[in-house]
Amino acid sequence: MIDMIEKEDPVISEEEAAQYDRQIRLWGLDAQKRLRGSRVLLVGLGGLGAEVAKNLILAGVKGLTLLDHEQVHASEESCRAQFLVPVTARGQNRARASLERAQNLNPMVEVHADSDRVEDKPDDFFLQFDAVCLTGCSRDLMVRVDQLCSQRNIKVFCGDVYGYYGYMFCNLGQEHNYVEEKPKLVKPTGNSNDGPEAKKAKVDPNETTMVKKTSSFCTLKEALEVDWTSEKAKAGLKRTPVDYFLLHVLLKFRTDKGRDPDPQSFAEDSQLLRQIRDDVLEALAVSGDLLSDDFTSYCFSEMSPVCAVVGGVLGQEVVKALSQRDPPHRNFFFFDGRKGNGVVDFFGPK
Amino acid sequence: IMVQLVGSLRKELADSLSTCKVLVVGAGGIGCELLKNLVLTGFKNIEVIDLDTIDVSNLNRQFLFQKKHVGKSKAQVAKESALQFCPTANITAYHDSIMNPDYNVEFFRKFVLVMNALDNRAARNHVNRMCLAADIPLIESGTAGYLGQVTVIKKGMTECYECQPKPTQKTFPGCTIRNTPSEPIHCIVWAKYLFNQLFGEEDADQEVSPDTCGVTWRKPEETAARATASEKDGDIKRVSTKDWARSTGYDPVKLFNKLFKDDIMYLLTMDKLWKKRKAPTPLDWHQLENSDSYCVSGLKDQQVLGVWGHCQLFQQSVETLSSQLQEKGEGAELVWDKDDPPAMDFVTAASNLRMHIFSMNMKSRFDVKSMAGNIIPAIATTNAVIAGLIVLEGLKILSGELESCRTIFLNKCPNLRKKLLVPCILDPPSANCYVCTSKPEVTVKLNVHKTMVLSLQDRILKERFGMVAPDVQIEDGKGTILISSEEGETEANNSKFLSDFGIRNGSRLQVDDFLQDYTLLVNVLHTEELERDVEFEVVGEAPDKAPPPQTNQEEVNSITNGNKDSAQPSTSSKAPAEDDDIMIVDSDEEEGASSSSATAATSGTKRKHSDAETGEASTKRPRTDQLSAAAAPTDDDDDDIIALD
Repeated sequence: MIDMIEKEDPVISEEEAAQYDRQIRLWGLDAQKRLRGSRVLLVGLGGLGAEVAKNLILAGVKGLTLLDHEQVHASEESCRAQFLVPVTARGQNRARASLERAQNLNPMVEVHADSDRVEDKPDDFFLQFDAVCLTGCSRDLMVRVDQLCSQRNIKVFCGDVYGYYGYMFCNLGQEHNYVEEKPKLVKPTGNSNDGPEAKKAKVDPNETTMVKKTSSFCTLKEALEVDWTSEKAKAGLKRTPVDYFLLHVLLKFRTDKGRDPDPQSFAEDSQLLRQIRDDVLEALAVSGDLLSDDFTSYCFSEMSPVCAVVGGVLGQEVVKALSQRDPPHRNFFFFDGRKGNGVVDFFGPK
Repeated sequence: IMVQLVGSLRKELADSLSTCKVLVVGAGGIGCELLKNLVLTGFKNIEVIDLDTIDVSNLNRQFLFQKKHVGKSKAQVAKESALQFCPTANITAYHDSIMNPDYNVEFFRKFVLVMNALDNRAARNHVNRMCLAADIPLIESGTAGYLGQVTVIKKGMTECYECQPKPTQKTFPGCTIRNTPSEPIHCIVWAKYLFNQLFGEEDADQEVSPDTCGVTWRKPEETAARATASEKDGDIKRVSTKDWARSTGYDPVKLFNKLFKDDIMYLLTMDKLWKKRKAPTPLDWHQLENSDSYCVSGLKDQQVLGVWGHCQLFQQSVETLSSQLQEKGEGAELVWDKDDPPAMDFVTAASNLRMHIFSMNMKSRFDVKSMAGNIIPAIATTNAVIAGLIVLEGLKILSGELESCRTIFLNKCPNLRKKLLVPCILDPPSANCYVCTSKPEVTVKLNVHKTMVLSLQDRILKERFGMVAPDVQIEDGKGTILISSEEGETEANNSKFLSDFGIRNGSRLQVDDFLQDYTLLVNVLHTEELERDVEFEVVGEAPDKAPPPQTNQEEVNSITNGNKDSAQPSTSSKAPAEDDDIMIVDSDEEEGASSSSATAATSGTKRKHSDAETGEASTKRPRTDQLSAAAAPTDDDDDDIIALD
């Protein structure tokens, strides 16, 4: 669907041109038109979800569906959660409570709220979207949705924030086409209309050319089920971000407990995290030393600035994929808020 | 010991967040995101200051603002929006310039942390000095397109913002602008100068008529007495461009014929210029009449008009602007503004006509606006990432973990080590810094017989050395006061030369800016051998030239460090190496406060807004082009140097 150049050929109005001026000057009118024709599903309106919602709505997609079955927690301090939910919304559904503020960010985008459980959605629910973004979802659900969507050329994104740590994963399909803008080398011709000094060949900063490229992605299942027992894999461990293994631990915690580590149960959850770490690393046949004990202190709750960083990177990746412009990050982005490190790395079959 | 967490944070840190006071300077792209992050992280006492009002082009990223807020104060609306999702936060908003003397060292000392969210260097320099004076940690940041950067400045521990010299604005030689343009940007600069000559503040360094070359630097008083290039009756009357235009009643066809026909024909007589260059072709209004038509499909601004289309646009905009001028009355001046349609139309038309004359492909209004308005493209996500990083650095500072603070660069693509976000260790203060060392000192090369006191104040002390209100004493044993920051006190000195006060080679000037708590000792080095149109040189720094062959690193930096004349979307996919030089980004979309004219609003004035409640009737900051005395490229063409921003 997305690969059709003139999908719906949406026209950019003068009003949109005025509002999107500063981004059109960055990624061009064509990219803005493609965004303007794209529909996105966003699952999970926690801290990270709210950031992604804001970024996509401001970017000017055609439609964004906010899907979240959770309620606004009564126990959450009103100023810790996210900025789309009004303080009066305790007990309401999180997606519905976020709708008004989300819509006000940009009236030109169609924003919908859906309070269903994502697990209950039939397969064809997902097919109406050009991209799907999953936050706060279990590993099994993410694997299932990823499989289903990428087969139909729907771009898949996953992301979460745990305290100071966060990640983003994407699967843009086996053949994701995009363009990259490169400066044009002006050949010297006597008759060139590019200025009186056209006799010299030079890189004209005002002239660029679009180069077509392709990138290939694996599934989330393949990405998570990398085999570390081979000699080659073991040798590569040194250059592997430990965040990848941390992700496994946190996903397992979520599967086992049905929730993320909770500051209210700091002691028990810390202990459980350490236990899961031992189990996971052993199961993956890698050294227990990869993740030292202190990670447990820093992966509780969604930290707002970390949501902002991960949500910014994730949001921009969605924009890039929908607009088919610029090389996508392939296929994980890991952020460590303690160190300020942001790394892109590929996990999956070579 | 049980670790107590409040959310993600340890209890001690969470508690200090709720009591400490922080200052956010700027409520725009970074500022909105930052305010949101601070509030959600648990900061309770926040003060935010911004002199600007909301524009529709802000709405793609400054998410605390909606369409209904256009025209209102950014700081005020940002505060109100933030209170919506955290009513218990204590936010104070100032619709004001941070360079206002009300915000003195004592004001800054109220805060445990200052975070910049600025878009211009003058304000950054100023806040840098205030935070040094108050000894408060400062988090500095910037973004442009996909790129961004955050760093921490702590007196005595790290470099200050001014430790590393920042590249100054790109400049073009005067002859290139006036005689031999070869790129669209030269034509656009010319058109902006033309606007000022016809409708705005006339400036001796913004001449548009053909230059005979070999002209020496003129005094500002002679501005009013400029000759126009072609007087048909051969009688050289010394009239200003504006007076001449007025005498024709601002007749667009007469203006057109002078600028695009007569002056071009004059240039053609200077045949030395055209031996190796393609000669320009003059235009004739009547021959062009109705020669092209254009159909408008799609966005109007992105069309490239034909020559006649630009003639018509020239005519319409001249008519509109001249009647605006007339309405304002005697002695009125217009200020160029990219968001003022007739002003933008005028530059679009005039620059394109000139491009056509000089055999360049014409440009759409959209593209001309980018270059003329120094627009830096901007998106929400880059600002979101940077603002997140600012808060994370802030938390380290408040936890007393300054050693773990870093400069962090956001790249467009991962570097060779797979890093998209690259943290780098902070550098210690530079021993040669003329701001943060204990006894700052510089040496300035100039001609004491030709440098006026006013120039010393405006171009050297304010513009180059970032002072807001300098006081200057001559170390002559008598403590002669050369410049007083008190208005009117030393006005009589302004048009005198430094030599009139006995200043000569080796003289020393003590310069104080009491607001910034900053004293600079200036050593004067007299010279008669400066490049033409270069007023001074700071010794110990490489003179500014045309950009040297650029490495990948510089390719990335040149867009983000204020080379706004080549303002273009950041398309570099090359990532800098990990141990980068600081690349603080200026998105000087709103022009910097410093300016060549004596009326430079270096303290900034509030932007106009129609908020009845506050009853403010302030005016927009004048957007004059900056001029700095950059060194000329050393080539033997008789080129004047004219700097622009």
